[in-house]
Amino acid sequence: MNRSTPIRGIAVALTAAAVLAPAMPASAQDIRIGYAIARSGPWAVGAQVTQEPNYVMWAEQVNAAGGLNVGGKKRKVELVAYDDRSNMETVVRTYEKLMTSDKVDLILPPWGTGANFAIMPLAAKHGYPMLSCTAAGRKLIGMKNPYFFALLQQPDVIMDALAEYMVARKVKTAAVIHVDELFGLEMYTGLEASMKRKGIQIVEKKSYPLGIKDLSPVLKGMQAKKPDAFIGLTYPPGTFLSTGQSKAIGFSPKIFYLAVATAFPVYRDKMTPATVEGVMGIGSWNPKTGAEAKAYFDAHVKRWKKEPDRWASAHCWAGLQILQAAVEKVGLDRKKIRDYIAGTEHATIIGKMRFKGSENVSTPGVVSQWQNGEFEVVWPPQRATSAALFPKPDWK
Amino acid sequence: MSLPSPSRMRGVPFALVLTAGGGLVLATLPWLLSDFLLALALSCLMFAALAVSWSMFCGPTNYLSLATSAFFGLGAYVTAWGLESMPYGLTVLVGGLVGAAFAALIGLAVLHLRGAYFAVITFGLTELTLHSVTYLEKTYANTAGRIISEAPENTVIYWTVLAVTLLAIATAILVRASRLGFALSGIGGDEERAQTLGVNTRRVKVIAFSLSAFFPGALGAAMAVRWTYIEPLSVFNPFIGFQTVLIAMVGGAQTLLGPIVSSVFFSLLTEFLRLRFPYAFLIVLGLLLVVLVLYLPGGLASLFVRRGRQHA
Repeated sequence: MNRSTPIRGIAVALTAAAVLAPAMPASAQDIRIGYAIARSGPWAVGAQVTQEPNYVMWAEQVNAAGGLNVGGKKRKVELVAYDDRSNMETVVRTYEKLMTSDKVDLILPPWGTGANFAIMPLAAKHGYPMLSCTAAGRKLIGMKNPYFFALLQQPDVIMDALAEYMVARKVKTAAVIHVDELFGLEMYTGLEASMKRKGIQIVEKKSYPLGIKDLSPVLKGMQAKKPDAFIGLTYPPGTFLSTGQSKAIGFSPKIFYLAVATAFPVYRDKMTPATVEGVMGIGSWNPKTGAEAKAYFDAHVKRWKKEPDRWASAHCWAGLQILQAAVEKVGLDRKKIRDYIAGTEHATIIGKMRFKGSENVSTPGVVSQWQNGEFEVVWPPQRATSAALFPKPDWK
Repeated sequence: MSLPSPSRMRGVPFALVLTAGGGLVLATLPWLLSDFLLALALSCLMFAALAVSWSMFCGPTNYLSLATSAFFGLGAYVTAWGLESMPYGLTVLVGGLVGAAFAALIGLAVLHLRGAYFAVITFGLTELTLHSVTYLEKTYANTAGRIISEAPENTVIYWTVLAVTLLAIATAILVRASRLGFALSGIGGDEERAQTLGVNTRRVKVIAFSLSAFFPGALGAAMAVRWTYIEPLSVFNPFIGFQTVLIAMVGGAQTLLGPIVSSVFFSLLTEFLRLRFPYAFLIVLGLLLVVLVLYLPGGLASLFVRRGRQHA
């Protein structure tokens, strides 16, 4: 009996506090921008490399410059951020809170295709534009949600670029693995169509589940067929695994391409720069892309003591640039912001960007390659920061 | 369920009336709460139903099942596959039936195992189900996820989940008072003795396990419409199973009220910590669990039981 009272008291107090207290704005004049993102659970790795560091750094930069210019008046940005615990229901509930209880002025999207899908109906219902930098797939575009904008290149566009590069190098055969996820499947569908058009033969194709622990039997089988190219449409675990295991068995075809996480600095650092020399993957940019990109890179390294990844990080930053320009142009009316995003050609650190429906139709598919510790853009030629190393040097 | 004897029926009508009354009060929440608080209430209800149905079988028998996520995920996939051709309410019912049928099937195969073996194999079955669904979808539909384009209103989802929760509680009340419940306790106490006394333990266990799996199946089907995009990894999430076990055990799996109180307590507490102390949240939650396990081994319910005895 004695023990029960304090525990029940705490329970009641916590309940009351959680239920009653609204999130108080720091100042009525601040622009409140809300988001939920993974700080714990399996999504946290990607979210904390590509997304949240950019959100935080952007808000700090904006506030250091006095804030956003809304109708001639500088207003600071306040981020209202929550951990979504890598849980879909928590994502939905938190955005319901942000949009209907906290009534934030704007939102930033969560991490990953599934979570972005999950809040799309809320964005449309409550009229919040979302500029998503870690969601890719034709299925998302196909939702025709007027408030949703996908900043990344679509899978088929990325695969077309790779096929063009292969044709330019007179590559005839490829072996392909893909992860059993929406992204892997869409990438493979795109790749198959591109390869057919370009007359490149897929000598073997295997898919694997996300949690796989050993790919070496598959890789050995592919090695025996001596393809010109190995294409891994992988997620981060598969990217690390196939690099290590291909090196171990000495599988080093002329083109060695892996998809997601090849652009992560941690990939280079963990596998060592010598090992990844010549490995290709999805990229978009690097510090040599332009002066603005260099400034962003330097600011990121200074603020976080780590480099941004060479693919989606810059798309994320581009989304923040677009949002900032929209607010400074049309104010905080979200319908007007949406129309501005949909109808304008934007200037970003990865070049001009225009949307058709939800799709970014300006940024081309890009093939990048690790060379001396930098993820050089090697295709298409007009975006290249270096010539491609072809064939790929042997593993070191 | 066989006919319960009169002595064990004592208190049952009262408990059922109380449940119905509570349900009526809760049914008014959509008019009283904001979208967010309603979503929080939804979460409480979901975990209450999961924990009560889990305790229905695992409480009296001392089994530790980690298969909740498998039933939940299958239910979610019933909605993903069926919502275009069936009304929402029907998908929830079918989701429950699929959960129950699947549980009967695996129950026949693995319910002779006990202790850690049963826990491990039910966890493994969840993984197996996840990968089977992934494989089927990839092979026959060339897809990795399904889109739910027309979701019902939030209030409809809330009332549906409330109905499933009330049904779970009512079922638990009736099971406890029935011969089935008595047989389950017998199995938990000493399975061989129960067998000797004429209980067909295998049949009893399969029936109860299957009955308890109806609810996670129905909840998966009911909740899935909130997520627009259904993929195996998010709906066969093992944490749903872990959290259910945790809530039931902290509340006291032997009791009816314990899991209900504990699910409300936990849902609100985790939400409060997540929103207010984002970086300390897992540490605080972990510490709290340690304290609860050390000082309240019988679960939160033991607070109320002790209090009840003093008053009596």
